Amino acid sequence: MYQKIDQKIWVAGVYKNSSFQPTKFKWQDRELKITEVTLHSDFKDGQVKKRCYSVISGQEVYRLEFNRENETWYLREIWVD
Amino acid sequence: MKTTILHVDINSYFATILQQENPHLRHKPVGVIKDEGRTCLIATSKEAKQLGIGTGSNVYEAREIFPEIILIPASFDRYLDATKKLKKIFESISPDVYIYSLDEAFINISHCQKFIYPQAEQLGQQIQQKIKQELGSWVTANVGIGNNRLLAKIASEIAAKGSVLEINQDNLDGILASIEFKDVCGVGYQLTKKLQRLNVTHPYQLRFFTAEELGVLVGPFWANELLKIAYGQEPHLLTLLEKPSSHMKSIGRSITGFRLYDREDEIKSILFNLCSEVIDKTRKMKLAGRQITINLYGQNQAFHDHITLKYFIEHLDEMFIWVKKLYQHWNKDFKIIKFAIRLSLLEPNDQKPLLPSWHKQEKIQTALDKINAKYGLFTLHPASIMKQHLIRPEVTGFLGDRDYQLGN
Repeated sequence: MYQKIDQKIWVAGVYKNSSFQPTKFKWQDRELKITEVTLHSDFKDGQVKKRCYSVISGQEVYRLEFNRENETWYLREIWVD
Repeated sequence: MKTTILHVDINSYFATILQQENPHLRHKPVGVIKDEGRTCLIATSKEAKQLGIGTGSNVYEAREIFPEIILIPASFDRYLDATKKLKKIFESISPDVYIYSLDEAFINISHCQKFIYPQAEQLGQQIQQKIKQELGSWVTANVGIGNNRLLAKIASEIAAKGSVLEINQDNLDGILASIEFKDVCGVGYQLTKKLQRLNVTHPYQLRFFTAEELGVLVGPFWANELLKIAYGQEPHLLTLLEKPSSHMKSIGRSITGFRLYDREDEIKSILFNLCSEVIDKTRKMKLAGRQITINLYGQNQAFHDHITLKYFIEHLDEMFIWVKKLYQHWNKDFKIIKFAIRLSLLEPNDQKPLLPSWHKQEKIQTALDKINAKYGLFTLHPASIMKQHLIRPEVTGFLGDRDYQLGN
């Protein structure tokens, strides 16, 4: 099941084929390297555009969210077996 | 010109997208529920289906078959975004695309086949590859090919998972003689049961009857439709897709509760919440309607009522006044598990009334629309729906509101 986190995070990445690819993120003073982006989805919350990235770091699956209006990143959920 | 239609159907869509997103779910039986605490599986993974756990099963039945089944709440934003990506892929192939549901589309390549896609089967494989590139390697699709939508859809229904199948003159009769009616678009459960009375279980058998003979059982309309299906011709339901209407004819919303409801304030609050969503969609599409319908369902009972007005409505207050009046017609003789409301006979709202009271309502509604458009639906909402958990908009699998969701 996914466990809710809803905490602000720092994200670094690269632009690849004109789209942003997150490569690592910092959460609770830990730097986590992203090995795979398994899915990304755009959606709107009112008129605020948001993009969700589902990523893998180590064995864990994280749901990250980027608010495209105020350019902030959140860790929304983590998969726990 | 030869007509060639492709039907693309993503395998176990809701579950597959979640498995694509999360490798821990791959190769495992997964059941998708609408929300935490729900017990109906609105979709299941291919691994669950292999065990006999299909869409529509409940959690208890599923756990009896496989106690470790993984239950995940649906992720409608992800599904809708994936469908928008699929639409882009399909529209890069042909301008004539009809998104039939969240996970299904018809692509008509008749106009461009001769020079661009001489091999339809090869094109089907290319589409499967493009889907994997765009949505991920776990996402597989069936592609059916036929000279009309009926055959293309049958082909994708019966094809092996992740494969391409063409129905042509050589295999048509054999396929119609071997498939069951569940694989035929438009033939539902009731019709299938009626046909069993004639010992008809495969479409090909319908050829042994005249329209008059079938008409006695199913009426003249369905008799003709069934005879078209018997010969692999497109039924009326699917020909309608060729001329999509200029705007939606009705907008509805239903919700199944977590429990049975009998308190009037709770019931009205839920109905008001549903009205808010219907009016929001109606106004965003610049439409107005004049028929209001309410449906309330108990465990074994139901109440339906509607009213057709002589004028159009497009304000939340107006709609809720009518929903409340319809609700008063109900005897309140059962507890409610499912609520549904609908605004129909929709037309573009280009004529505005001159009444000052209407303009006052319009000003309030416009202010509400602006705030909710900027900050999200229900940011500002009537106090009457504060008493209960807000019911938020969601996309449905069959995509009845495709014009609204995909902006066709």
